Amino acid sequence: MAKHEVEITISKQGQVRVHVKGVKGKGCLEYAKWLTEIVGKMESQQLTSEYYEPETKARIDLREDLRTEE
Amino acid sequence: MSTVLILTPVIIGGWPVITAAAAGAAASLGLVVKESVKQAVQESVANVEENVEITLAESEVLAQNLATDKEIVLTKGDVELRIRRDERGRCTVCAKGKGHSKAELKQMAEEFTQKMTQCFVYNRVASELKNKGFQVIKEETMQDESIRINVRRWVD
Repeated sequence: MAKHEVEITISKQGQVRVHVKGVKGKGCLEYAKWLTEIVGKMESQQLTSEYYEPETKARIDLREDLRTEE
Repeated sequence: MSTVLILTPVIIGGWPVITAAAAGAAASLGLVVKESVKQAVQESVANVEENVEITLAESEVLAQNLATDKEIVLTKGDVELRIRRDERGRCTVCAKGKGHSKAELKQMAEEFTQKMTQCFVYNRVASELKNKGFQVIKEETMQDESIRINVRRWVD
C-alpha cells in the first residue's frame, strides 16, 4: 500500500497552497486537478523530482505450462 | 515530494454554505449576529453613518432557495456588517457605523471578507478530504493566521 499525504495551507487572505507528497507519476496530477476543482483557480504548479519517478507497481507473472496429452 | 500548487479560491455555494462561512468568520473576529434584520434597518435610519460596500469578485451565491431580501447582519460595537447576494449573484459585504471613517469601515469589511473566504475554503476542503477517505494527522493555526492541515490516506 502507498501512503499519500497532502499538506494544505490556507492563508489569512484565503489563498491556498497544496503540497502533495508520496504520489508518483500521473497520480499527483489527478490530485492537483481534484483539489483545483474544489478550491477554484490554479495560479501555479511546480512538479518536484518525485513526479518523475516511476509509479510503484506490483507485478506477478502467471505462467501455465500447457501440456498436450499424447 | 510530488507537486506544489498555489490556488485562488472561488466562492460558489448556496446561502447555507455562505452563512456557515460568514458565521465562522464572525465568531473569530468577535462579531455578533444581529437578532433581527428589521431592527438593524430601523437603527440605521435613525443615525447618520458612513457606508462602504465590497463585492467579492470571485464569488457566486447560488439563487437556489434564496429569498431576494435574505441577508446576514453582524455587529461589533457600533459597526454593522451586512452580507447579501447582489443582483448579479455575487456576494457583497457592506460595512457601516457612526463615528468611523470610510477607510476604517473599508478595512473592517476587507478583514471580514478575507476571514470569510478562509472559512469557506476550510469548510469545503475539510469536507471533500473526508469524503475522499483522508484522515487528518495535524491541524494548526500558524502565527500569520494561516491554517495548516496535514492529511493522509493509504492507497492500494
